[in-house]
Amino acid sequence: MESSETEHSQSREWRREKRVNVGPTERKASVIGGAALAMSGLRCISKQNYASGLAMMLAGGMFLYRGQTGHCGIYDAMGVDTVHTRNSALTIEKAVTIGLPPQEVYEFWRNLENLPRFMRHLESVQVTGVRTSHWKAVGPGGISAEWDAEMMEDTPGQQISWHSVGEADVPNKGSVEFKEAPGHRGTEVKVTIDYYPPGGGAGRAAAKLAQGINAQQLEEDLKRLKQILELGEETTARRTVE
Amino acid sequence: MRAVCWHGKHDVRVDEVADPQIVSKGDVIVKVALTCICGSDLHLYNGYVPTMKKGDIMGHEFVGEIVEAGSGVTRFHVGDRVIVPFPISCGVCWYCKRELWSLCDNSNPNSWMLEHLYGDTGGGIFGYSHMYGGFSGGQAEYVRVPFADVGLEKIPDGVPYEQVVLLTDVCPTGYQAADNCNINPGDTVAVWGCGPVGLMAMMSARHLGAERVIGIDRFPERLRMAHSQCRAEVLNYEEVDVAEALQNMTGGRGPDSCIDAVGLEAVGTGIEGVYDSVKQALRLETDRASALRQLTKACRKGGTLSIVGVYSGFIDKFPMGAIFAKGLTLHAGQAHVHKYLPHLLKLVADQQLNPSSIITHRLPLEQAPGAYKTFLNKQDDCIKIVLNPQESTGTARPGSEEAGAA
Ligand SMILES: [Zn+2]
Ligand SMILES: [Zn+2]
Repeated sequence: MESSETEHSQSREWRREKRVNVGPTERKASVIGGAALAMSGLRCISKQNYASGLAMMLAGGMFLYRGQTGHCGIYDAMGVDTVHTRNSALTIEKAVTIGLPPQEVYEFWRNLENLPRFMRHLESVQVTGVRTSHWKAVGPGGISAEWDAEMMEDTPGQQISWHSVGEADVPNKGSVEFKEAPGHRGTEVKVTIDYYPPGGGAGRAAAKLAQGINAQQLEEDLKRLKQILELGEETTARRTVE
Repeated sequence: MRAVCWHGKHDVRVDEVADPQIVSKGDVIVKVALTCICGSDLHLYNGYVPTMKKGDIMGHEFVGEIVEAGSGVTRFHVGDRVIVPFPISCGVCWYCKRELWSLCDNSNPNSWMLEHLYGDTGGGIFGYSHMYGGFSGGQAEYVRVPFADVGLEKIPDGVPYEQVVLLTDVCPTGYQAADNCNINPGDTVAVWGCGPVGLMAMMSARHLGAERVIGIDRFPERLRMAHSQCRAEVLNYEEVDVAEALQNMTGGRGPDSCIDAVGLEAVGTGIEGVYDSVKQALRLETDRASALRQLTKACRKGGTLSIVGVYSGFIDKFPMGAIFAKGLTLHAGQAHVHKYLPHLLKLVADQQLNPSSIITHRLPLEQAPGAYKTFLNKQDDCIKIVLNPQESTGTARPGSEEAGAA
């Protein structure tokens, strides 16, 4: 993610002066991951699951603080500087079985502008070209991320894959496979998303914390996709029209 | 409208809340004629289910009249009197198509809460916490009922609401418990727990051809009811060693089938402990598996254990060795009410089955707070309470605690 590598001694100098030891990519990723984490923490607390909720809030708060100031005390303590380190992908994989033929599920997904209907944190996906699209995600407090994506693979009824291009806030790539499920059960939809948190021990550890939450969100997203495709709409327990 | 709302442990109130509306095109609004307090509502009342929120409307057992129908509803019309099954089912998913209605894949928007603990989860349930979907319940004047075409059953003219209100849960739950026993002529069925579900299981076992039915409980009024309504022989587990008594009553073989209509009531707490709180909650309550251990010990070789009492977490000292050595078959789960409703409704209409005979209390909705207390403490020989939201006491003020003093 970082365009230049700097020598260790130089980086220490830089950090002392600017008090910034979190790279710009990570700053944005931290804000998003942290928001998701804090939000999930809040949700757990509202469900009276206090212990784990609080733990998540704390972890999320740490992310948010780091994202806003560009400084992370834990990194300092561990001597980690991610501005000058490359990083590797974290992967989320989730699957759901939907009671429709693969071609139908594929077609719904292939119309990328449908994605925000079931991916809750996606605000919009705009098709900008034959293979390109612009994605916008939002978290609580108006924290947002945007990126352009390019489709890599597009095999009707089987697979779609994409990756972010250019100056993505959170570099990512993903693929979705559509496979006929045995025994006329419909389609097995398997989604794999790789995203690139900043490298370094602490950064990666923290991002891994957020990964569970992101995996959870993807799972909920896929359940909504199933509802929309099988029922025509998302299931709701609301008592009144809002 | 007025509705019985959860406010905390041992604190339910009749509040004035917004009327429900048609939200999805498959919805109907039901004007509730009668609604019951269920044994499993006591889990909520006792504060054991953490995904309850202040203001949640209770109740999953209700019947009434359709007063509004969504544009997608085809099987019903305004004015129809209907039975509403307690599990919510979409009707199109793999499970619904196989009549595993209570395991519906699409009806619980909060299914993730239980998936962490169980690996997967059942469908939504009216008025039964947010982990079961967060749907408003039927202890209210009106209810929004989703997937109306799928779940509801029309009540034939001339059949009063009271005759069918137990078909929403306890009657099909008891029937499924007996059905799972694959009863053969000459069979003996023993039922742990002579509450409403246990009584219904005994009635159903009789109906399905059991030669003998044995009811086990410790409350004399429940044992009396089992004897009088279900022609059951009865055992008071505080007075006898149940497993030994059952062996001796069955020529040393043991009952052919054993139904657990007790469950781990207090362990219901574990459900929401999606993460660590589970262990904590359960540590306190592991001894409540005693009924299940008795069942296992008493059951004859090759027999069936049918579990309808609610279990939710983990239990200690589960007698896997006995299950294995005796080659027992185990059935469990929430009732697939939709599957049994037409048949049970016909039995009721033909007067072959009389579930309403176990109703002991009939009260206006306003008296719900007091009714919960009475039911919890098994006072006043209380077995089944039915509330009427349309009947007014005249003096009750919505939202006031005194309004409920029975
Ligand atoms: Zn019930
Ligand atoms: Zn379903």
